[in-house]
Amino acid sequence: MANKAKKSGNPPTDYERIFHPQRLAIIGVSAEASGAGFGTGIFKSITAMAFAGEILPVNPKGGSIDGLNIFKSVEEIPGEIDFAIIAVAARFVPDVLDACRKKGAAGAEIISSGFSELGTDEGKELERRIKEIAAKGIRVVGPNCFGIYCPASGLTLLPGPDLSRESGPVAFIAQSGGMSIDFAHAGKWMGVRFSKMVSFGNGADLRETDLLRYFKDDPETRVISMYIEGIQNGDSFFKEIKTTASKKPVIVYKGGLSRAGARTVASHTASMGGSGTIWRSILKQANAVQVHDTEELAQTSLAFALLPPKTFSGISVIGGGGAIGVTACDTAEAYDIEIPPLADDLQARIYDYLPKPGSSAINPVDVANPFVPPQYLKEVLLAAAEDKRIELQIIVSLLYHYKSIAKTFNKTVAEITPYKELARVIREVADKTGKPVIAVLPNAKRGVDDLDIIEMIALTKKEYVDYGIPVFDELHDAIRTVAHVNTYYGGKNHE
Amino acid sequence: MNKDRAVKIIHEAMRRGHKTLSEYESKQVLAAYDIPVTKEILLKDKNHLEKAVAKIGYPLVMKGCSPEIAHKTEKGLIHVDIRNIKEAKKAFNEIMAGLKGVDGGVLVQEMIKGRRELVMGMTRDAQFGPCVMFGLGGIFTEILKDISFRRAPLKKRNALDMMKEIRGHKILDAVRGMEAADKIILADMLINVGRIGMEIPEVSEIDLNPVIIYKSKPVVVDALIVLEKA
Repeated sequence: MANKAKKSGNPPTDYERIFHPQRLAIIGVSAEASGAGFGTGIFKSITAMAFAGEILPVNPKGGSIDGLNIFKSVEEIPGEIDFAIIAVAARFVPDVLDACRKKGAAGAEIISSGFSELGTDEGKELERRIKEIAAKGIRVVGPNCFGIYCPASGLTLLPGPDLSRESGPVAFIAQSGGMSIDFAHAGKWMGVRFSKMVSFGNGADLRETDLLRYFKDDPETRVISMYIEGIQNGDSFFKEIKTTASKKPVIVYKGGLSRAGARTVASHTASMGGSGTIWRSILKQANAVQVHDTEELAQTSLAFALLPPKTFSGISVIGGGGAIGVTACDTAEAYDIEIPPLADDLQARIYDYLPKPGSSAINPVDVANPFVPPQYLKEVLLAAAEDKRIELQIIVSLLYHYKSIAKTFNKTVAEITPYKELARVIREVADKTGKPVIAVLPNAKRGVDDLDIIEMIALTKKEYVDYGIPVFDELHDAIRTVAHVNTYYGGKNHE
Repeated sequence: MNKDRAVKIIHEAMRRGHKTLSEYESKQVLAAYDIPVTKEILLKDKNHLEKAVAKIGYPLVMKGCSPEIAHKTEKGLIHVDIRNIKEAKKAFNEIMAGLKGVDGGVLVQEMIKGRRELVMGMTRDAQFGPCVMFGLGGIFTEILKDISFRRAPLKKRNALDMMKEIRGHKILDAVRGMEAADKIILADMLINVGRIGMEIPEVSEIDLNPVIIYKSKPVVVDALIVLEKA
């Protein structure tokens, strides 16, 4: 209903004013010393993020906050507003929303709860009124959500005062606010940079399909990630995700796939076509990438953001660790990726740089010893990249071993580990050869005795991330993300 | 494609209060959608047996046929590899006795020889509507669950992807002296199963099991169409 009304009467949604508002009203901000609700929380978060536009706090009691005058009503705000964040009690929300609409707001996010999620008649009625008002020409995110995060403008999720202001290519869509805030925080240290993130809660108006349609054409978004619990309309969702995935990668973590229960069916086909099976097929048919947990979602987003848009059928794996070669080959084979033995002359060249005995230059290249200097590793990577069959390289560094020699040199682990040089070398090789290099930093020592190692690894990751090098904890994660990239671009070219 | 003919069969069955189509009716619906099915004749009268047998030719299969029976094998209602009129008459008598007054008849059917059995089907997903299934058929369907689905309508490419996707996809190739299965016909069959789902809302589920590959050609040997509860 809401959508129909929009199609017939209202102008197209002005997403620019929603994600990058110049004038932002926050309704439900309490004056200083009169307690701190969600409204004040989001006000403080947005201020801490150094939001780029003008903030217009509203509360019927008036007063001031952080030196800003609090308007007693939306109507009292002079001039138009672009966007509103609504954090008042549920029963006041419809009137406030309508006031925002009359003030010219292109959209509003409602972070208040107390709507259809309660299952009460009152809650459902309030949500119905929200839909009604939305249909008159204001787009609504929520209710019962954590809202929008947009690093470029400084809009942030509900408890998100310290999210990154650095923009990137990844958009994220989810009903779940908790999932959104987790991913926003994880992205910061993992190196996933976001264009926009929307947690839409009950999804009274804007939902998965509308947002897909928007991100499909959003020039700030190259990769779309989403967490889905339920969808509203299978047909329009399928069509939208299919067209979107034909333009840019769409990564989907579908929750709630456990066996759907009680439907009684007579045929074998129906009994085998449970919701999990059908979702898997639907996503395949749309050439969307299906992942199975939040970690895989983040890793896959990172890979799509940083790797060039192509498939990688042959890779090299270079690094240390006894079983690394076997693990690499087993994993790669499972994902249909080849680790071909390098050409003989290249093997000979590589062997010159490796400690002896115990090393191997075949591919996987076993460097045998975790202390091979970055400059040597650079030569190894450069040589391996000369093999035509190698399209991508993975370097596995067991940096935690540096702790064993730190004491001898009277230095901390972070001081003795040449991670800065390593990051620089990896970047140089990737740039020079045009073949991407993925870094893997396994850490077997994560207990309280080794907090210094954990710190060093975190610093290393930050260095890599700053250089735009995809970095993972485990080799398996790295290979799996390459497989996802292959599946997507393989399927796309097949179109 | 003859949708009207298919719908007519379905409405007639619904009018009689049936919740499923008999094998014979199911195959007529499939045939209306250009899906290759076994050559067969439905009989109630033993006097017509000889004529029917002559038309189908030996060896043949005889089955009890009624919308009210689902699991024919377990009830002794299938007789295979019938090679002469004596065997045919015996089978007819046994099947009629087995039907025990259930409204139905005897299906005289050509026997399709082939070692490769596939399954196709259609189910309606609550979210995504009609979805088509492809997989290994016969007794392996439920044991191995080596199946794939696509949402209808299907393009040829979707149908070919479904075939590639099952673990046992190599049985469609030329293996062990068998010809490669005709994937174009298989693809058309899948597309048309999807079309039934799209065009006839009264059909809630379809099972084609087995679809046997004879030389290179797939033929639907048994079929079940489940109707929407009116």
